Amino acid sequence: MERRLNGEACAFCCYGCCIAFQVKIGRHEEWEAAWLLIQLGVGGFLSMNIMMFSLLLYSDAFIGVDAGVLPWVHLLLWIFATPAVVMLGGPYLREMWLNGIQGRVTSSALIVLGVAAAYLYSAFAVFEGSTHVYFDTAVMVLMLFTVGRYLEAVGRARAARDLEPLLAAESEGATVVDGAAEIRRPVREVSAGMLVRVRPGERIPVDGVVVEGESNTDEAVITGESRQVTKGAGSKVIAGSINIDGPLLIQSSGDGTATRWARICRSVREALGRRSPTQRLADRVVGVSVPLVLALGGLTIVYWAQSLPFDRALLIGLSVLVVACPCAVGLAAPMATSLGIGRLARHGCLVRDPGVLETLARVRLLAFDKTGTLTAGKARLVGVDCEEVCIDEVLARAAGLERLSEHGLGWAIAAAAAQRGITPLVTRDVRTVPGRGIRGSAEGRPVAAGNGRLMNDLGWPLPPSLTERARSLEASGHSVVYVGWGEQVHALLSLDDSPLPEAQAAIADLRERGLDSTLLTGDLAQAAERIAALVGIKDVQAGLSPEAKRLALDRLRHDYGSVAMVGDGLNDGPVLAAADVGIAVGSATDLARETAALVLPADGLWMLPWIVDVARAVRRTILTNLMWAFGYNLVALTFAAFGLLQPILAAAVMAGSSILVVVNSLRLERLPDPVPALIPEQRSGAEVERARHTVGASVMAGSAVERS
Amino acid sequence: MTYYLVIFAAGFAGSFHCIGMCGGFACGLGRDQRGGGATVARHLLYNTGRLTTYCFLGGLAGALGQVICTTQGSMATPLLNGSLDIAQRILAIVAGLLMIGMALQFFGLLQVFHRLALGFGGSTFAMSLRSLLTARSSAAPLAFGVFNGFLPCPLVYAFAAQAASTAGAVPGFLVMASFGLGTFPAMLMVGGVGRILGPAWRRRGVRLAGGFILLLGLITLGRGLLPSDAHIGHAWLGGLPA
Repeated sequence: MERRLNGEACAFCCYGCCIAFQVKIGRHEEWEAAWLLIQLGVGGFLSMNIMMFSLLLYSDAFIGVDAGVLPWVHLLLWIFATPAVVMLGGPYLREMWLNGIQGRVTSSALIVLGVAAAYLYSAFAVFEGSTHVYFDTAVMVLMLFTVGRYLEAVGRARAARDLEPLLAAESEGATVVDGAAEIRRPVREVSAGMLVRVRPGERIPVDGVVVEGESNTDEAVITGESRQVTKGAGSKVIAGSINIDGPLLIQSSGDGTATRWARICRSVREALGRRSPTQRLADRVVGVSVPLVLALGGLTIVYWAQSLPFDRALLIGLSVLVVACPCAVGLAAPMATSLGIGRLARHGCLVRDPGVLETLARVRLLAFDKTGTLTAGKARLVGVDCEEVCIDEVLARAAGLERLSEHGLGWAIAAAAAQRGITPLVTRDVRTVPGRGIRGSAEGRPVAAGNGRLMNDLGWPLPPSLTERARSLEASGHSVVYVGWGEQVHALLSLDDSPLPEAQAAIADLRERGLDSTLLTGDLAQAAERIAALVGIKDVQAGLSPEAKRLALDRLRHDYGSVAMVGDGLNDGPVLAAADVGIAVGSATDLARETAALVLPADGLWMLPWIVDVARAVRRTILTNLMWAFGYNLVALTFAAFGLLQPILAAAVMAGSSILVVVNSLRLERLPDPVPALIPEQRSGAEVERARHTVGASVMAGSAVERS
Repeated sequence: MTYYLVIFAAGFAGSFHCIGMCGGFACGLGRDQRGGGATVARHLLYNTGRLTTYCFLGGLAGALGQVICTTQGSMATPLLNGSLDIAQRILAIVAGLLMIGMALQFFGLLQVFHRLALGFGGSTFAMSLRSLLTARSSAAPLAFGVFNGFLPCPLVYAFAAQAASTAGAVPGFLVMASFGLGTFPAMLMVGGVGRILGPAWRRRGVRLAGGFILLLGLITLGRGLLPSDAHIGHAWLGGLPA
């Protein structure tokens, strides 16, 4: 047979050889896993011997055996069973004790009591000379539960596999270069200015600038985009990204604990430690069911003891305890949730609250903030309308003023002028007029750029052709800047904030999944409606203060049940916190990040439909897991209570049930990766296209008016 | 007794195949730093673990065969009188054919059993065992042997089938015990206790093992097909103890 191992085709005589090879070449060394395996192996050795002697006892070979031999076989069984019970039962006893001193009765109590009853009864029987011993039951129940737990642990390890390298690299540290020496230090001890060496394949531990070397890096965990970015001397690198193929020497630009990656790691750790509502519910059910099952076990023994010998009744009671162990119920939600969290984290989506995935799966409406969420949050100059002057002159005067401005619109104008290669006119006595605009003087004449009120204050008239144009531009939601000099308004600059290229596709994909979208914004109605129309949102509520947004969200929640809010701005903090699921997206502010339950990477809007898919798959998995676990427990409990299920069989099926839950959850790993509606290359192409279109539009608009 | 000696011999011949397959594990366990005595103890523990698993599987397979035969016998009126009922004959035919198939595979003629074993998910198992090989605890080789015994292997399948055909926990146990003990010398030899045989000798050993398995398979098949009066298994090997 041939198998591919580490990318190479290897030939083996059989599957056993193949496994043998994998074991030999592996470098995986984990003492804890080994110790558990040793326990399992030695426990297996003892329990298999017990089973064999028991099989011999049951076998017809021993029918009619000399009664004198039986006590010796029983003694031998006791000798094998005692260390097995101590070794395999120890962890359960410890668990029961630790929970017991906190006043909690958990599933470990069921196992310990069941096994202790079988073992003690049998030990008593050995020394009393009785004919029936149940060491095989006691030991095999423990063995099967331990095997089940081991397989659960393997499943959990696979669930955490996505997070393991991420979290391990953070705790591993950074190689700090100090003169000729290279010292390994914890990431938290790296401060600004230190030189850090990052070898190929390592994760970059701190934010910084490349001083030496060139390499490709993968920034997926931060940006969500799995594409390689080439970094050379002078390039900025982000902590958490992976250095792929060349050594890099980096100068740290800040504290190791203050990086976004460190925050992600902290949040993921916290999220994994918390419990989702379903988990809490399952815990409560388990907490209530265990004492009930103990009582039921006791009642079963009492009931059957009236018609059967005591050891038979005890065995039926033991089956009840073993079969009712709610391991699968306890595992149903955390297994699926941690797989979901790991899956999202691998693509840079940070889950701060494990319950969020279950809630998101139920959501029927997503409310979006506009600026910075659906749009880039940066104004762009999209048109110049002028009368009897050329566009270049308008832009030179406007840029002369605006390059000193601190207003977003001003920056956009200065940037557009620079993009067209226009030199700003030297402007003196520049001062801003709050809420109005900016003014100064150039070439000995006053010059001003601002809104209509500034022009009114200055008493500069607006030509009739531009008045009409200004009205239509404002009606269509554009921001309009009037530019005037020589005591007259000469031009109108129209600016707007375009929707992100991926927004429309994301909204359409969400609609395909049956999710409605609405726009809640503090911006003007016209601007909001224009953006909403462009991205495909019908329902718009504009001009909302943060408080009004919260009230609007409450109303929506009343109509739709659970509502998710997607936002980024400082003013989105309260509404993100108030929503059932707060999703911070884009270059979200710290407040938005702190209040949101789910944080998407920068430019991560396109991932929203995929996240909804993952959340729904997680919820579906949890529900099927719970249905299976509860259903199984109820059916099996009934069989056991009627004496129709042997304890060993009960343990086997119980362990099998847990494994089924693990296997069902692991199906989440097969979910496809997110596919951007626009892949990065296409997206950058689309941005270029949009920029070209923007400049073209301004020239066309300007020329049209010039000609008139 | 002769029957179990044949199985022991088959196990011994088959262990040349084990050198190629499980020998890697034995080498992986290696020598003990504390000296020769400790090394022998280490490898004896490993092989004892392996043997325990084989015996367990044998007992289990035998018991299963017994359950099948008893159930069949109790449900249907026996069609044939004599020592073997119809279910045991069917079991013997199935086991015999399985063993003949395995034997052919040892001669390089039939590869279907390798493909059958392929479906078994074992990478997790392998990952887990890896950590045991490096553990320093004295109990680790024993644990390792126990797990090693469960690895899918055509030889183990063949003798487990033979054990099932005996239709009794005790003879099943004894079949696998004989087989397991037969593999002891070669496995101790490669495990740092002795010297490793060259590939040519291993090939000859594998052929010899194939011969033994073929012989046992034919005998088992004969037990199922031939009238009980002409039963070669009983006549030639002294019968089964069951």
